[in-house]
Amino acid sequence: MTIALLLIPLALVLLGGAIYAFFWAVDNDQFEDLDTVARHALDDDPPPPPPAPLPSDSPTP
Amino acid sequence: MQSVDVNLTSTRVSVSWNPAQLGLAGVLGAIEALGFKPVPLSGAAADSARRAERHSMLKRIGLAGLAAMQMSMYTVGLYAGALTGIEPWLAQLLRVTSMLLAVPVMFYSGWPFLLGAWHDLRRRALGMDVPVAAALLLAFTASVVNTLRDSGQVYFDSVAMFIFFLLVGRFVEMNVRRGSLDAGEALARTLPAKVTRLKADGGSEKVLLADLAAGDRILVAHGAVVPVDAVLAEGSTLVDESLITGESVPVTRTAGQVLPGGALNLGGPCQLVATRDVRGSTLASMVGLIERAQAERPPQAMAADRYASQFVLWIVLLSLVVAGAWLWINPARAFEAVLSVLVVTCPCALSLATPVALAAATTRLARRGVLVTRAHALEGLAGVDTVVLDKTGTLTSARMQLGDTRLHAGLDQARCLALAASLEQHSAHPLASAFTEATAARLTFGSVREVTGLGLEGELGGTTWRIGQRAFVAALAGPSLATPPGLALGAGAPDDDHLWLGSAAGMAAEFELIDTLRPDAQAGVAQLRALGLEVRIASGDRAATVQRVATALGIAAASGRMTPDDKQALIRQLQASGRKVLMVGDGINDGPVLAAANVSAAMGGGAAIAHAAADLLLMNESLGSVAAAVDTGRGTARLVRANLRWALAYNLCAVPLAAAGLVPPWLAAVGMSCSSLYVVWRARRFVGAP
Repeated sequence: MTIALLLIPLALVLLGGAIYAFFWAVDNDQFEDLDTVARHALDDDPPPPPPAPLPSDSPTP
Repeated sequence: MQSVDVNLTSTRVSVSWNPAQLGLAGVLGAIEALGFKPVPLSGAAADSARRAERHSMLKRIGLAGLAAMQMSMYTVGLYAGALTGIEPWLAQLLRVTSMLLAVPVMFYSGWPFLLGAWHDLRRRALGMDVPVAAALLLAFTASVVNTLRDSGQVYFDSVAMFIFFLLVGRFVEMNVRRGSLDAGEALARTLPAKVTRLKADGGSEKVLLADLAAGDRILVAHGAVVPVDAVLAEGSTLVDESLITGESVPVTRTAGQVLPGGALNLGGPCQLVATRDVRGSTLASMVGLIERAQAERPPQAMAADRYASQFVLWIVLLSLVVAGAWLWINPARAFEAVLSVLVVTCPCALSLATPVALAAATTRLARRGVLVTRAHALEGLAGVDTVVLDKTGTLTSARMQLGDTRLHAGLDQARCLALAASLEQHSAHPLASAFTEATAARLTFGSVREVTGLGLEGELGGTTWRIGQRAFVAALAGPSLATPPGLALGAGAPDDDHLWLGSAAGMAAEFELIDTLRPDAQAGVAQLRALGLEVRIASGDRAATVQRVATALGIAAASGRMTPDDKQALIRQLQASGRKVLMVGDGINDGPVLAAANVSAAMGGGAAIAHAAADLLLMNESLGSVAAAVDTGRGTARLVRANLRWALAYNLCAVPLAAAGLVPPWLAAVGMSCSSLYVVWRARRFVGAP
């Protein structure tokens, strides 16, 4: 079973890669909006600008 | 500090303090000492703080999930090895690798639980995190000790799985609880960032939504959202107002009618004149009311919190008993049994049951056009058995119809009608709407002026005519004709549903105006009856008018000529006889009456929603949604009870099994998470399809 000495570190490296990829995806807002982005392909216009700030909130603290 | 109001759902806190005794820094320091990071309330800051929280939650879940998968492989290896034999160095390699993976899971993914428990203990309180953290630390420490000793059972995979499931449960709960708030925010988000403003010279420019002021002329394209409350300037268009009212059938709006901000223009491009800026628009008021409702903690939720806290105490005591018993029977299995008891009884389901159900009900009602503005409303709705309806604006529409006409000076009826209709077309007063359908030739009056609250004056062929209240017209027509012969009708009757027409030559005619039943009044009352509710009418209107409406709807208990004090007395009297009263009014001038009822609802259309005193606002102005609200209230109460029963039943089954040592820790983690997710899933299902 000496092959485990190679395979287990290899698995850890792969795991590290997967975690890194997931963190990257979260940080780059890949999970922010799972529905509407797909529909932009059907729009004629370019994608809309970021959403407007909430009207109910005060402009400055 | 004088008062602290915490809004868990929108993660906001309002603090009042005396600046003479404590500075702002002191307040912020106190908040930080409790383990929270204060973020000033501004759209962008709150938004980015919430996004950061969401991101870190996702990362914790991702790390715990990926590591748990990996570790369960190693555990399979260890179990298989224990059965078929394994070289000691390989077993130790698997244990050490598991431990290496478990450290980040424990101290990164599991950090919220450890921190939460620490803050709970420092406050000398027992929260949900205390048994969770105890179980995690117990399992982790024992596994590390066993790994270093190079023998015995390790539970690293159970730790990772427990953390993973707990985090998933919290994440789902976070989303459901914010669902109702997001309903309001989603509304606000549908607004475009920039709008096309038409300039006076005929050109157009793109301006930021926030810069749009009342009175601006804007162009809204087909398929675009109306950005602010605005009047249609010309033509007609088809709009979908479902975001505001929950009404899914598009409605046709003609020139002069008001379109609420958030409505979707389904017709051609149209020109609108803004009546308010974006902060004063219906949508902003709705978001404000939703937030206020969530700032209040309903008594039901507070009771659930107290129970959860007591429950934690019992868990801790129980695990001590279990530990003692197993140490006496079989010390080798004591550790695993205690661990299972701690994990399996995690009171998540118990403390989730109520808030999740209430949030779900709020969302469900919002989708049906009912806005919950007070937190206690949902609980109250479930117990309601009597509905008191105000007549005007609820059972009858604001649009008036022309009833009897009495002629004073022997004039021709058609001529009087023509005079009245022609004068009234200059007015936007609700009473004037009675004449819009009058089939009479329109005459052209000169120098028309409207005296607010009294009537109109205009000139035709050298004669000045007045229409309006009796006193106003009599001032022109002369007091001598105030009591013309054979006119007993006007005596004693209030003026507000009678209009008088006259000139200097004398009183000409008296018009009776009657209000019309709403088209949905019949069906709405029937629906309320179908729910077993007693329906009553209490109106300030004339007894005869009220009786006519009551007869049309088949309502026996109807009283007219009631002052607001009378209505309040009626509600008190009903309550004294053990009834729970839902009062439905127009929400504008009946504030004290609404406040006296157990639950109050008001028609939410138009300008007044921000000032409405009601617990519920019926955005679609339909009586049918009153029935829907009562139904949802009862459904919520059922859901809360069912959830609590489920959580209790689960614990009653699981605890004895775990205490008997029949549930391994990993299975306990799965069971605990499933019970929480089940509670959340039922709440989600209750929200229903959009």
